[in-house]
Amino acid sequence: MKIVGQDAEQMHEEAESASLCSMFAGEESFGIDTAKIREVLGRRELERVPMAPAFVAGVVPYRGDVLTTVSFRALLGLPENTEAGCVLVLDDDGGHERFGLVVDAVGGVVTVQRKMLEANPCTLDAKCKWLFDGAYKMESGLMVQLDPQKLRPSRLAETGMFRQGGTGESL
Amino acid sequence: MRLPGAVVADKSPRANALSVVPDKRDVDDLTQEFIAESQDGLDRMERCLTELETRPQDSQLLVAEIFRAVHTIKGTTGFLGFNRLEKLAHAGEHLLGSLREGRLAVTEELISGLLRLLDGLRAILILIEETGGEGTRASDEDSELIAELAELNGEAPKTPLSEKSTPVVSIKAKEEIAQPAPTEATSTVNSTQGSGSASGDKTLRIDVEVLNRMMNLVGELVLTRNQMLQSGVEATNFPELARRLDSVTADLRETVMQARMQPVGNLFGKFPRMVRDLARTCGRDVRIEFSGQETGLDKSLLEAIKDPLTHAVRNAVDHGIESPADRVLAGKPAEGCLRLRAFHQSGSVVIEVADDGAGIALERVLAKAIERGLVTPEQAKEMTEREALQLIFLPGFSTAAAVTTVSGRGVGMDVVRANVEKVGGSVELESKVGLGTTLRLRVPLTLAIVPALVVRSGGQSFALPQTALVELVYIPARDAAQVVERVGASEVYRLRERLLPMIWLDRLLGLKSKAESHGFYMAVLEAEGCRYGLVVDDLLAPEEIVVKPLSAVLREIGLFSGATVLGNGTLALILDIAATAARAGVKPVMDEQEEQAVEVRQDEASFLVFEDRARERTALPLGVVERIESVPFSRIEYANGRALLQYRGELLQLRDDGRVLDEFETLQDEEASATILICGDPQTTSSRMGIVVRKVLDVSDGTLLEKEAANGEMDLALVKERLTTIFRGFGATAGKRWREVA
Repeated sequence: MKIVGQDAEQMHEEAESASLCSMFAGEESFGIDTAKIREVLGRRELERVPMAPAFVAGVVPYRGDVLTTVSFRALLGLPENTEAGCVLVLDDDGGHERFGLVVDAVGGVVTVQRKMLEANPCTLDAKCKWLFDGAYKMESGLMVQLDPQKLRPSRLAETGMFRQGGTGESL
Repeated sequence: MRLPGAVVADKSPRANALSVVPDKRDVDDLTQEFIAESQDGLDRMERCLTELETRPQDSQLLVAEIFRAVHTIKGTTGFLGFNRLEKLAHAGEHLLGSLREGRLAVTEELISGLLRLLDGLRAILILIEETGGEGTRASDEDSELIAELAELNGEAPKTPLSEKSTPVVSIKAKEEIAQPAPTEATSTVNSTQGSGSASGDKTLRIDVEVLNRMMNLVGELVLTRNQMLQSGVEATNFPELARRLDSVTADLRETVMQARMQPVGNLFGKFPRMVRDLARTCGRDVRIEFSGQETGLDKSLLEAIKDPLTHAVRNAVDHGIESPADRVLAGKPAEGCLRLRAFHQSGSVVIEVADDGAGIALERVLAKAIERGLVTPEQAKEMTEREALQLIFLPGFSTAAAVTTVSGRGVGMDVVRANVEKVGGSVELESKVGLGTTLRLRVPLTLAIVPALVVRSGGQSFALPQTALVELVYIPARDAAQVVERVGASEVYRLRERLLPMIWLDRLLGLKSKAESHGFYMAVLEAEGCRYGLVVDDLLAPEEIVVKPLSAVLREIGLFSGATVLGNGTLALILDIAATAARAGVKPVMDEQEEQAVEVRQDEASFLVFEDRARERTALPLGVVERIESVPFSRIEYANGRALLQYRGELLQLRDDGRVLDEFETLQDEEASATILICGDPQTTSSRMGIVVRKVLDVSDGTLLEKEAANGEMDLALVKERLTTIFRGFGATAGKRWREVA
């Protein structure tokens, strides 16, 4: 997306803009800062973990480790998808908790202007208020920004909001 | 910065430089190396000292070894500037010098003094490791010890410090020391062990040879990868490359494992000293013997069993071995013997702690268990010896009449068992009153790679560690309704006349159970004393799995101990056998009737009963019958009047006591076929033979009749209340073996 020849104007522009990776779950489109995405694994069959919290989509092997993945559909309260989702590998800032995020599809990298970001509407329900980090007003529609920090499985478990999802069996 | 430093240096030039410099540079590489080396030297010294006591005839060699250790420390400390350590080492060296020249005799007192020197040196080394300095109170802390060493050297009045105290007092002081010293010593030993393991955890000594081999294998791995990348999957030599990759990986794994292996002797090395100190505290006379020190064990496992083993050794000295007086009364030598043995047995390492003490008095165990409310008196009455011994592993159990400083601190055998089981091992106890007790710790060779059985349930794969797997039972769908019985809401299975609780894995995990199929499998599992049958849909291959940890969120579920990538690339969760039992509500049972059942069956061997002479029943021990073949009559050939059969490239002699072949001969029926038992001694496969029989009747258990009832070459047995001849046609040894079996 970015062009190499950088001059002062572009530098300025960069501070003003952000590059997001767009993704889709249900009808809506979401974006995560590309710097926080480690890898896009693509469509993967996940091994489900019985008795796990509803937001856990399953586990997937990743570079010699076993990666826990979070189902974004489950977070939104959407019914489970029949086909395999796309897995993104996200890194914690500290790097001590690496996890996967499962979405319906991954779009591409989009550059957005920071000034186009608008805060969450006050009418949003508590769950979504926690998950969403404002929305960018794009030409094609709205793109909700997500904060990977808040999607960490251990963080999600702490909040207790997503323990009982729409689909998973309860403990 | 410079100015104040210079001023301070002017005031007290030497002393300050010494105490400040080590602090500043903290602990540098040179010092680190010195500490590691000295600790090795001290370990060696400790071993030699305890040996010196038991083998005075080798004193020259041993003293030289000890001298060398102390001398090395002294030399290096002087060079590194650790004054306190140097002073103490010097005093020790002086004493050892006299000993080496033969001016002193080896006495118990002398050895105690040297052991205290050892503790002193260790304490300073630890201080250096922790703080980088050896402490400033050099003179007042060690002077007593130095004086004592000097006194042992026979020059007591010389040093100014012992001048202050009269000889009488110093002797008295020593007597005082002699009593509390061992406890003090044990506490220092404990502290050194603690910090020793802390630094020992981080580093590992590996044979350069092993490392080189590893490097070579990695090189080969890279080469193989390059070849694979170049040739591609379609290439003709691809299968060969895959095979090579397989062998290189296996070799590499083996080598890495080998590098992690540490001889058990490292762990044993701590015990002579501990046993010596303990024996003195408890007033026992104990000799310690080792075997199999070179047995290798994974480093992490070695760490894991250190505490249980230490506990077992303490127990053996404190509770196991009686006081010398009692031993003499019992007709045993005054000196007790503690044997530590390590050896490999079927993929695991067994460490045995055996004493020749009083053994465990069962009535006391039962009395204690009743007193503690662990069992009711009625239950106790019905308990077998084995069951009663298992009580010792229950939490809150200790048979020590009095709580001593050594044992009875509330941590008992239950902790030993829990710790060993945590790493996938098991604990066995064997005891004979008056003869001694043997405790066996059985641990797997390594932790990272576990043999496991992969099963499927609810459309998912799960791995069950083989260590917990007792047996597998297949239940066909048509039998399911009959064999699965209910007690209230819980389902049980009758396994060899014992009720086994059944747990449906798919139901427990809330999985969608599969539609009706051919049947299901039940894995009989045992962990932490719980035994249950886990019902799964299907069994996949047994595999050696590499355990991968799970994230915190998934660990919280508490049912899975990890995950693994299977051969086909999919993931399988590793089931925590004990946690699953707890989740399903299975309580530990403490009986081992299983083994009794096996013993009973040994008294009554299984027989294959057949008919050879008309209306006469003959039996063969089932173990010697390899196959039952139906052979067309035309295939039986004759040579020199004897019937022979070509069987799998071997010429079998046929024995035909019932003249079955002659009957066929007269019948002239080409289509007829004879039933032939292919028999062979399982031990010596060469002596196979065929036995022609009329028909095979049954397989059943029988009891051998007393020798008197039998006559001549025949043994008779009662099989299903009918007289049966035991066939004896093999060599004399085989016949003897049968009788042993039967």
